[in-house]
Amino acid sequence: MKPFRLVLWMSLTVLLAACGQGPQTSPAEVTALSAGTLPLDPADVAWRKVPVHPARLIPQDLVEPRLLRPTTAEVRVRALARGGEMAFLLEWDDPTADDLPGAARFSDACAVQMPVQTSADLPAPQMGETSRAVSITYWRASWQAEADGRGDTIRDLYPNASVDHYPFEAAPLAGDEAARREAALRYAPARALGNAMEGGRSTPVQDLLAEGPGTLTPAPVQESRGKGIRTKTGWAVVLVRKLPEGPPVGGRFQAAFAVWQGSEQEVGSRKMRTGWIPVNLEKAS
Amino acid sequence: MSRVFNWQIGREMAYWYPESRPRKQFAAVFDINKCIACQTCTLACKTTWTSGKGQEYMLWNNVESKPFGFFPLRWDLKLLEMLGAQRWEGRVYAGQTLFEAAPAGERVLGWRPQDEDYAYPNVGEDDCAGGVEGGTSLRVPHLSWFFYLPRICNHCTYPACLASCPRGSIYKRPEDGIVLLDQSRCRGYRECVKACPYKKVFFNPMTGTSEKCIACFPKIETGLVPQCFANCIGKIRLAGFVSTPENARPENPVDYLVHVRKIALPLFPQFGLEPNVYYIPPVHAPKRFLEQMFGPGAGAAVAAYLKAPDDPDLAGLLGLFGSTERLIPRWKRQGETVFGLEEGGGEILRVPLREPVHVRMALDSKLGVARTNCP
Repeated sequence: MKPFRLVLWMSLTVLLAACGQGPQTSPAEVTALSAGTLPLDPADVAWRKVPVHPARLIPQDLVEPRLLRPTTAEVRVRALARGGEMAFLLEWDDPTADDLPGAARFSDACAVQMPVQTSADLPAPQMGETSRAVSITYWRASWQAEADGRGDTIRDLYPNASVDHYPFEAAPLAGDEAARREAALRYAPARALGNAMEGGRSTPVQDLLAEGPGTLTPAPVQESRGKGIRTKTGWAVVLVRKLPEGPPVGGRFQAAFAVWQGSEQEVGSRKMRTGWIPVNLEKAS
Repeated sequence: MSRVFNWQIGREMAYWYPESRPRKQFAAVFDINKCIACQTCTLACKTTWTSGKGQEYMLWNNVESKPFGFFPLRWDLKLLEMLGAQRWEGRVYAGQTLFEAAPAGERVLGWRPQDEDYAYPNVGEDDCAGGVEGGTSLRVPHLSWFFYLPRICNHCTYPACLASCPRGSIYKRPEDGIVLLDQSRCRGYRECVKACPYKKVFFNPMTGTSEKCIACFPKIETGLVPQCFANCIGKIRLAGFVSTPENARPENPVDYLVHVRKIALPLFPQFGLEPNVYYIPPVHAPKRFLEQMFGPGAGAAVAAYLKAPDDPDLAGLLGLFGSTERLIPRWKRQGETVFGLEEGGGEILRVPLREPVHVRMALDSKLGVARTNCP
């Protein structure tokens, strides 16, 4: 073979190999790249150059109710950082999209957990511990559907539902929206108390604090953002949240991840989770 | 797990939390023999509490026919099958409770109904157990039978819903034992829906939280009975407070029926929750069926109830059922009059022991017309 042809073939081989290559893998930790902006869209091209950390998931089997049968094997994590915020892209395989609430229907979901305060001595990865709180950013597929425009009526959940009458839609209240809203809230105590676990949500994420299993509570300030989309094999979800208070220890923050598959009746503590995983903040090159 | 005492099964048992009885325990007595399944109770509850979006399917109060009626579908049969054989040794339950039978990773043995299970609230209505053969005569217990079972939350002493909630969103009020679900704390995990054997916790898909009977606590707090009691046209219901057996007071109407006369029995006591709605079993159903449903005292309860016409105290107290919207903490009978009393002894109302009976002849000779006794 002539030298020119050899160089041509070698160049083509390298080019083809580069084209077929997936994103770089970061096997030991999450590598967060510095970015000028934090994309909210999981399909944003900015994610393509970010190394992927394949985080192995284990069943939550420490506290009742436990998950005894493993389901989702791993969640693929990427991260971008800007100032005091970090954006995580979580991707996992899930053959069924579960985003409809119902008596025994559970929603797909995921979460990122970080300690509230950085420390060399980390709180328990299982929801933190007393006086050593963790901050959790939680995304739910059914909230995403609501944020994407799904209506807030029973027929949006059950298309063939038959409803005779709601008292708050009675004729005497017609035209008085405030009175109707007030009357409707009488039959929706959770909404009246601001505990919007379903219905009319404008954001698919919730900021939570915990000091151990069973202590999960909404954070006083709701500031995280997020967006999830279906992929060919499952979900891709971006969660943008603030970093823990304090400097990173050894140049690294710590994060833990969790995934719920609704079709597997996973909810609450019945989840697949990771332990703490270092998040290495890599400076822009 | 802690060890607690459950007087309904006559022994200690395992429970998720230590024994902590309320200062008073809300309780009810339902006389099944008088229930006609008119569902007025169901509607009273529905219009008061569950007319909102996401509550369309909810029936905090329902009335189903037994043996073939269920809401949700097969709620009791399914769990009885899961629990396996339930054996009593006298008045002591020798089998496993739902807490003791909890599988690995669970706090309670339970199951979670699907949407479809709630779709047939009237399934089995008025269906008889068995056909009627030619030449059969009517006797007690009936050869072919059914009865109506009105059901609300049992506000159990050891609630499975409360035990199962990993967030502690369900609590039992120390002042009256009413079991409530904190709507500001619930995250809709539905562990309670799965754990409650009576299936009286319901998930609201529009709020994402679970909801349940609240025993109309705003009424209880003002000395009134819940809506399903006040609106019961059959006057089958008595609301009050039940004591533990060793603290039973005969002047307390519920204590008298539950502890003194033992004619009002808990629903599936073998589940181990110490439920606080007590049923006077139907006299016409087979003893074995009633024993499975109400425990080993069912036969004696039926026998005592059948003698009520000759038992002025029992008959008198049964006459107080549904006689007022006020709670009746105490009662007494003086001759032919039965009194409902306040805790301090003040009179709430009085009813005659026997209502006057008028026999109207079919033929009205004065007007020259014949009347029929139409239903």
